[in-house]
Amino acid sequence: MTLFDSEPFASIRVDDVSSFPDVECVIAPTSAAIAATACRAASEAGARIRFWGGGTHQGYGYPTATDLILSTERLQSIVTWSPDDLTVVVEAGVSVARLEDELATRGQTAVLPEQPGAATVGGVVAAGQSGWRRARYGPTRDRILETTVVTGDGRVVRSGARVVKNVTGYDIPRLMTGSFGSLGLITSICLKLWPIGAAQATVSVDDPAEAAERSYRPLAVVESEGRSTMYLAGTQDEVTGQAAEVGGDPLPGLDWPAPLGEEWRFTVQVPPAHTRHAVSRVRAIPGTRFRAAHGVGHVAIGADSPDLAAVVDLRSWAESLGGALIVAASPPSQHEIDPWGTPPQGLSLQRSVKAAFDPAGIANPGLLPGRL
Amino acid sequence: MALGEDLLSLLGPARVKLHPLELKIYDKDAGINRGPVLAVALPESTEEVVACLKAARRHGVPVVPRGAGTGLAGGAVPSEPALVLALTKMDRIWEVDVASRTAWVGAGVINLELTRHTQEAGLHFAPDPSSQAVCTVGGNVATNAGGPHCLAEGTTVTHVLGVELVTAEGEVLVLGGAAPDPIGLDLRAVVVGSEGTFGVVTKALVKLTQDAPAVATILTAYDDMAGAAETVSKIIAAGVVPAALEIMDGPMVRAVENFVHADLPVEAAAVLLAEVTGHPAAVAAEASLLSDIARSAGATSVRTAADEAERELLWKARKSAFGAVAQTAPDYYLHDTVVPRTELVAVMTKLYEIANRHRIAMLNVFHAGDGNLHPLVAFDAKKPGELERVQAAAEEMVQISLEAGGSLSGEHGIGLEKRDFMSRVFTAVDLDGQARLRDAFDPDGVFNPGKVLPAGSRCFDFGMQLDRGAA
Repeated sequence: MTLFDSEPFASIRVDDVSSFPDVECVIAPTSAAIAATACRAASEAGARIRFWGGGTHQGYGYPTATDLILSTERLQSIVTWSPDDLTVVVEAGVSVARLEDELATRGQTAVLPEQPGAATVGGVVAAGQSGWRRARYGPTRDRILETTVVTGDGRVVRSGARVVKNVTGYDIPRLMTGSFGSLGLITSICLKLWPIGAAQATVSVDDPAEAAERSYRPLAVVESEGRSTMYLAGTQDEVTGQAAEVGGDPLPGLDWPAPLGEEWRFTVQVPPAHTRHAVSRVRAIPGTRFRAAHGVGHVAIGADSPDLAAVVDLRSWAESLGGALIVAASPPSQHEIDPWGTPPQGLSLQRSVKAAFDPAGIANPGLLPGRL
Repeated sequence: MALGEDLLSLLGPARVKLHPLELKIYDKDAGINRGPVLAVALPESTEEVVACLKAARRHGVPVVPRGAGTGLAGGAVPSEPALVLALTKMDRIWEVDVASRTAWVGAGVINLELTRHTQEAGLHFAPDPSSQAVCTVGGNVATNAGGPHCLAEGTTVTHVLGVELVTAEGEVLVLGGAAPDPIGLDLRAVVVGSEGTFGVVTKALVKLTQDAPAVATILTAYDDMAGAAETVSKIIAAGVVPAALEIMDGPMVRAVENFVHADLPVEAAAVLLAEVTGHPAAVAAEASLLSDIARSAGATSVRTAADEAERELLWKARKSAFGAVAQTAPDYYLHDTVVPRTELVAVMTKLYEIANRHRIAMLNVFHAGDGNLHPLVAFDAKKPGELERVQAAAEEMVQISLEAGGSLSGEHGIGLEKRDFMSRVFTAVDLDGQARLRDAFDPDGVFNPGKVLPAGSRCFDFGMQLDRGAA
């Protein structure tokens, strides 16, 4: 009998584990309190946990040794939606698609990624992912008002508040955003919402960099291999007027480019004005496709068999601007390229912060830059 | 005094304050607290900050970073004898990147100076607290400051992409950067708003915001507060997020009008100052919708600023509110709670009930669009019994906001003033989590001790409490 055949693990084990990688045990707690009991037991036993939402962001970071997967599939409640206050509280396992569908019934959005696949809200927050519309509304982390977190050692820590403006205590909700499960499990999140806008349109543009610079807060300006597109939302007159200003013919609705599905995926992150330079460098690497968010400085790249030396060169350039090139997905068991590149300043401080949440080092250990 | 001598040798006599009369200037902020100051140092560079910090540590003296001292919660007021590091001389704008809309600025740069500096490029620094003509960017970072225009733009943390932080060990770290989503844990995000308890922020990389191509500023007046509050709730519920939605009640309108002479409707029970910005077509549509909602909620007058001069006058009136009150009462106590926007009418009604019951003079000016309330109690601490009545009412007002699902502070911070209310909002485990985060940055308690978290936050013994079922 192993550790996981006894409580607190046995009663929350997942029977069908076919969608998970091979580990000894997969558990799915039904509440923060139960997740806390499991994390506490895992910390005491030194069992390393990988947290799992929709599985769409598991390609990031250093490969980690995992004894136990903790899935959020039983944390499925949209707890409180207050449409008149533009806030919603959701459990981590709610899928992005389900939440956005629900919010759209009242003309609202959480501005989460537009093509989420199976991604969960918890997973998107943990991976710090933002959608195209961040060009106008800012990154996801700016909308995380409150989090409830189960720390690596099994404490349930709530921080932030369910109001749109708050400085009561340290901003742990933002710290959790993009922490990739290295501090613990996010079990529920309060998000700030935005109205969708009465009209929405997609307009082709010739020079995306110029369109992003000249227009007043378009939803997004996205360039891909074959086309460059500006996305607009607001009142009908506003959308028509903005389209006319860039000389385009607006088509109703938001026609986002198809997601990249290649085996290798990278993200180049540079100061916004360098997006166009990043694009010309990406275009020079054969066999790549890309999606560039102008005005943001974010370029997603896909390739089936990329020239990794060229990718490393691109990384050096991005890092010289204070940016990064990170690996978002790669074929199994590849070790040819570092997933993060040069780690950030202050690694010892990062280690102390991780230890404050996960003293036993069992929460996605070694995944972050510096193998935190 | 050995610390004083060390500081004098580092900075020279002009930038070290040791005389009790000089220290008095630094022993308070704009709120009601005072604290003990051992010495004040005014460094001009990050290297000098490091040197002062090391000197303080050698002498076992805590360090309290300070900007312009416009805070209201005691964040810059020492809770025990301390070295105050006043960063006002670190006022250089290092670099403005117009293309990427960012700037590296010293902690001592004045908020409004930054906006003036970038004006020609059509950019501004969005956080605009009422004190913006004197407060520093470093202070804004410390408190995660807000302001009327944070409704659409977000508070300071949304506009800070990176910080230069001097740590407890005297290490100088750059956290964050101009590229989106810096890798690793987002330490920048927790340093902002940490009220000087995590280290000394010496520089900030700020995001600059495009000036809007069009703006409409509308002042509506009401016969009762409920009408103004209802207008705000209905605007948000209608799916419009204006640039600003500010309410003043009748007593405040009259105090301000005496002070600024902006032709405000002094007979009104409440006024709502609303601003919509954006594309000209959007501004026209939203201004018209907003006026319609105001009328349907009972507005007795709707005045749209005809030109930039009138717009500036209306904003001057709004931002002069606290100055106006200071003229009428020797002391004032200011709240900063936030409630869900749906609760505005109910909470405002209860606040007036509390003020009446305790026979205190309450004036209101607040960021209604965010649900960020600022009931202001004017009083005279020298009158017997008055302070006690004010404190009793203050506690009830906080409790009313919390019961409505609100939070303690929207933009002023916790500091000393609200520290002991923290356990009404958070459990012992929550507070312990925050205390552990603080210890990760400052294990020896060098920076601004006694602030933000109530005493004993870290004493929580998790295992024991859990066994007793108290968690």
